[in-house]
Amino acid sequence: MITALRILGVLVLLGIIASGLLFWTSSRDVQIPPASVDFASLSPSEHDRLVERGEWVAHAADCAACHTDPSGGSDLAGGLPMVTPMGAIYGTNITPSRTYGIGEWDADDLYRAVAMGIAPGGRNLYPAMPYPSYHRITREDSDALYLWLMQQPPVDKPNRRNDLIFPFNLRPAVTFWNALFRPDPEPFVARDPQNAQGEYLVDVLGHCGECHTPRNLAYALTDDHLAGNVIEGAYAPDLRADALVRRGWNRDDLSQFLHRGLSPQGVMTFRMFPVLSHSTSHLSFDDLDAISAYLMPQQPETELLARPPAGALSAEGHALYTGLCAGCHGEDGRGQPHSSVRLDVNTTAMFDNPINLVRVIAEGIPERDLAHGERMQAMPAFGDMLSDTEMAELVTYLRKRWGGQSAEVSAAQVADALKQAH
Amino acid sequence: MAERISFSATINGQKIGPMDLPQDLMMVELLQEYLNLTGTRLSCGQGVCSACTIIIDDPDKGSYTVPACVTGVTWVNGRTVRTIEGIAGRDDQGNPVPSPIQMAFLEHFAFQCSYCTPGFVNGATALIERLQRQPIPSDQVEAAVLEALDRHICRCTGYVRYYEAVRDVILSTPGLTTDGPGTDVTAMQEAGQ
Ligand code: FES
Ligand code: FES
Repeated sequence: MITALRILGVLVLLGIIASGLLFWTSSRDVQIPPASVDFASLSPSEHDRLVERGEWVAHAADCAACHTDPSGGSDLAGGLPMVTPMGAIYGTNITPSRTYGIGEWDADDLYRAVAMGIAPGGRNLYPAMPYPSYHRITREDSDALYLWLMQQPPVDKPNRRNDLIFPFNLRPAVTFWNALFRPDPEPFVARDPQNAQGEYLVDVLGHCGECHTPRNLAYALTDDHLAGNVIEGAYAPDLRADALVRRGWNRDDLSQFLHRGLSPQGVMTFRMFPVLSHSTSHLSFDDLDAISAYLMPQQPETELLARPPAGALSAEGHALYTGLCAGCHGEDGRGQPHSSVRLDVNTTAMFDNPINLVRVIAEGIPERDLAHGERMQAMPAFGDMLSDTEMAELVTYLRKRWGGQSAEVSAAQVADALKQAH
Repeated sequence: MAERISFSATINGQKIGPMDLPQDLMMVELLQEYLNLTGTRLSCGQGVCSACTIIIDDPDKGSYTVPACVTGVTWVNGRTVRTIEGIAGRDDQGNPVPSPIQMAFLEHFAFQCSYCTPGFVNGATALIERLQRQPIPSDQVEAAVLEALDRHICRCTGYVRYYEAVRDVILSTPGLTTDGPGTDVTAMQEAGQ
């Protein structure tokens, strides 16, 4: 008994020492690169150039995606909830308000927050702030972003407290997470010098992996970069080149999709719609083409064609399709411009996971002004009209007919998908 | 895949079919071209304007509306349907009597050209029937009317009279609100409810 207690005591002691070490390694001051410019002696033209670059960084990094004010008025005043398995985290006010925003910050503070997730005073940000992706931001871009942010109108709106469950509501505990999962800041050096811009936009500023890369049990990004992930009740698809080719993408369509929100392969929905409006629709075609080329190093030669059905189609599924879908999407699934998307080459039916397809049919999609004049009319919600069994029939039919997915979707999977959505 | 289907339904209380129909036929075409029920209006043809709204009576869920322009006969096959022709009641002599919603639209001068009216009548009728199943507090009626009729497009009237007509019917009909006519508030309070 005594021996057991001793062993336990030693283990506890070791545990404390290990955590202490972890805490120390991660909370010690990491060297940060010095400011890229002398802010005090900037010429007006240099200042303007940097502010312009800062605006580009804000768009490319999609700050507004999380920091927008859902009650309107400001893209940066905060308040938008991000729902995680640990609870809701609310975007913060990053306007230059001195009381509630970042008006008192200097450029080093901003770099530390963006690249390391540390706010002034050593306060940890939650990794909902994508510093594990932003850690490779260049100091030049962080400084340009700083100048642009400080030019935006301040909004005196207090931040909303996060609704996180214990122990995730203990901010200092993030230090341990950082010790294990946060890469040190390492200003960007292209791994592929051929397309540095694409890599920088996808992996660093665009932080695509934050949604599209699977996470481990500690909610940290795994090494399966861009392999697809279910997040906030929707599937953020696999963006690796072979998966994109398999789903019928080519570089031009991908650039168009990011530019206008629409391509034959589908329309921006769920959390990609705000990404379009706040971020990708503002980027130039040079940037978008760099993104597409980075994601798809080889341009596929094949023409975009509907694939043959992946199995026998059920009469029930066909009746549901003609009864509820074909009126807009067409018996042949060709859709109609600006009103209903093509289904015959739509990628949503091609995912292994049916959650997005189920949710779109159940919840519908509001009418949308996409970008650059592109718009789509509303899709009605069919959730109340279809039982889980009927939904499973219909989803199975769509996946088999156009998605190349032969597996039957069950009513239980449908119920599960609908549950995950809420 | 079968190009044609055998279709049967109950439409305005009458058994229809079995009929041999193209399987991709939309309801509005069945009503107008095959059954001579021309009261259902076709406008946008893509489920946006609600002019073509018809009512499906579901034995489990109760009544709900669908746009006849984009709802195929394969969905309606075997079901019970009401169109604008089936909304009015009959008096003892068998003469048509406008339904409360139809009457309210007349009294409020709710429509002008009337192209949208059959859709409004059916949409409002389904709303009333939903409130019969699930009454709401009277301070939520305006929002419920807006939510139900918002999707109906009218190019003539400015909507206000339609809204007022439906709101008045709901507020004056017993059983549609939890605190309106027909609910004895004092008795409920005494019973501690
Ligand atoms: S005609 Fe059916 S909704 Fe417009
Ligand atoms: S009364 Fe003319 S369209 Fe409504």
